[in-house]
Amino acid sequence: MLTRESTVAEKASAGSTRLSFAQSVNVAQRQAMELDPGVFVYGIGADGKAGIFGTTAGLVERFGPQRVFDTPIAEGGLAALAAGAGSAGLRPVLVHQRLDFMLYSIDQIVNWMAPWRFMSGGRAKMPVTIRAIIGKGWGQGPQHTKSLHAWFAHVPGLQVVMPGSPADAKGLLLSSIMSDDPTVFIEGRSLFTMQEDVPDEPYFIRLGEALVRRPGKDVTLVTMGSMVPVSLQAADALSKAGIDAEVVDLRCLMPLDVASIIRSVKKTGRLVVAEPGWRMYGAAAEIIATVVETLHDMRSRPRRVAWPQSAVPTSSKLEEQFYPTSDDIVAACRASVTES
Amino acid sequence: MAEYHPADEMRCPMHFCVGQEAMPAALAQVLRRDDVLMSHYRSHGYYLAKGAPLDAMVAEFYGKQTGSNSGIAGSMELGSHDYNFYSGAIVAGSLFIPFGAAFAQKYRRLDDMSVSVIGDGVFDEGITYEVFNLVALHHLPMLIICENNKYAAHTSIERRQAQPKLAERARVFGLPSEQLDGNDCELLVRTLERVVPAIRAGKGPHFIEIETYRYCGHVGPGDDEGMGYRDAAEIQRWKARDPIIVMRKRLDGVVDRGELERIEREVEAEVHDAIASAKLAGFADIRKVISSNWSGEYANVVTRFTHSVTPSFGGGQSEARPGPF
Repeated sequence: MLTRESTVAEKASAGSTRLSFAQSVNVAQRQAMELDPGVFVYGIGADGKAGIFGTTAGLVERFGPQRVFDTPIAEGGLAALAAGAGSAGLRPVLVHQRLDFMLYSIDQIVNWMAPWRFMSGGRAKMPVTIRAIIGKGWGQGPQHTKSLHAWFAHVPGLQVVMPGSPADAKGLLLSSIMSDDPTVFIEGRSLFTMQEDVPDEPYFIRLGEALVRRPGKDVTLVTMGSMVPVSLQAADALSKAGIDAEVVDLRCLMPLDVASIIRSVKKTGRLVVAEPGWRMYGAAAEIIATVVETLHDMRSRPRRVAWPQSAVPTSSKLEEQFYPTSDDIVAACRASVTES
Repeated sequence: MAEYHPADEMRCPMHFCVGQEAMPAALAQVLRRDDVLMSHYRSHGYYLAKGAPLDAMVAEFYGKQTGSNSGIAGSMELGSHDYNFYSGAIVAGSLFIPFGAAFAQKYRRLDDMSVSVIGDGVFDEGITYEVFNLVALHHLPMLIICENNKYAAHTSIERRQAQPKLAERARVFGLPSEQLDGNDCELLVRTLERVVPAIRAGKGPHFIEIETYRYCGHVGPGDDEGMGYRDAAEIQRWKARDPIIVMRKRLDGVVDRGELERIEREVEAEVHDAIASAKLAGFADIRKVISSNWSGEYANVVTRFTHSVTPSFGGGQSEARPGPF
């Protein structure tokens, strides 16, 4: 059973199906479990009827309660289970309905999973995937909205994946689950109803490969996760105003596809980064620093579009004003182009 | 090691288990290679209990490439991947990694088991109680051994715990528990010979608290009595019932004294050989070390990658509007 926002899939073309982001995540886990008997999925409500916004619906019926199970509200213990089971060669998929709850498990992730391979002298594996959902809209407030992707990307040993579309969600989640390194897989809740034609077969996207979603020559717009559709919308608007933006979807913060970013900025000479997270010490800062360290002949100053350095307000009117929109990205790109 | 550590060639914090040898010796009698054993950072005895090679452990102390962890871990995170032995510094980790490993053993329907050796300090940390609950809830093939040596670093259990009866506290989580003299190796072997087969047979987890004592300071080979957290008389009381002395008395008349001395000489020679070869070995290449944080590898089912699947996704779709759930 799917939630109200996961619409019934309709056949689009041979070999692919129009799926929502949530359905795509669901299919990725189902196919991973079919491919490898060591894959199991757990978290609060994982075997419930709602199935974590539809993303785990139907899995327990298919694979049984040993491989899909509900849990106590013990985030540290759950991450501990993943760390130990991963060290023993299983491929755990731990799901958090909100990333904020994951903070109880920082020790398990940062002190244990992340350096596990390193500490073993390169001998051990830690094939763990932690799915973390970021709330947005309808009163999620300060404790249901944090992204913290930059935190995790800062820690050696972790991979951080941020899909921005349904088809990428499937390929990237399958790769994350099959990766031998621990992966924080961050899902923007605002993407969950968005749809795309998604190939039916299992497929894998190499972690650390950015995707140029829209080629352009005037300005490079680097983005990730839930800011991908917002950036594409901005690029459409810019195009009407005669500005040709190249949209580079990072897909992963770690590994980071530096080469694709540099290649694009070399071409356009301009850079705007749109990040679904706090402005200071974030992914945008890292990307801009990397670019200006590498290139010295940019045509204008790099810019970033990110959240204010503030917790997220609950009130819907304030929330609307809090999050950057495609208009903000348009303004940043325009400024970048008109400056030079 | 106590003799060589002061030379400052083993540049890693080292926590000596002198006085706490009984349980590692007992565990060595009942564990198999495929069982997982993880201990606290006072780990040397447990490393050897798992059958892992002595020379690789000594080389690890020296930070050499031939070490069990290629010189990356030192004493505090000493491990032997091939022998399923691990240890670590952040204390409750030695409880929760084997918990997850026990989950994997049950998942795979094996009769292997996982053993966690923790200190009384682990009872100070909150994660412990989440894990106790989950181990009991999932009825896992896990043995938890708590070496109660009365001190977490330099703070006595009375100053840390409102209710210091550890076995009782484990019991209320649904873990069958017992408390034993941790310096009586024979008693520990007898107990493990009863408990371990039951765990392998799927009878669920078990908790053992053992009372024991360390003679060295918290860290390093020297004593730290100068810190004033325990008195010399207490140390002397425990030394009088040292596990090796207890065992020796029991072997008197059972095993020939000459035979015991021969074993001691062999062990000593083995240790000196290990130290000599560790000193000669080289260090790992820093570039290789730095690049070892990620494997970049995937399961065998990943035979090819797809860069881009469909170009159909655009920016015109409205965002999801979540409800309260």
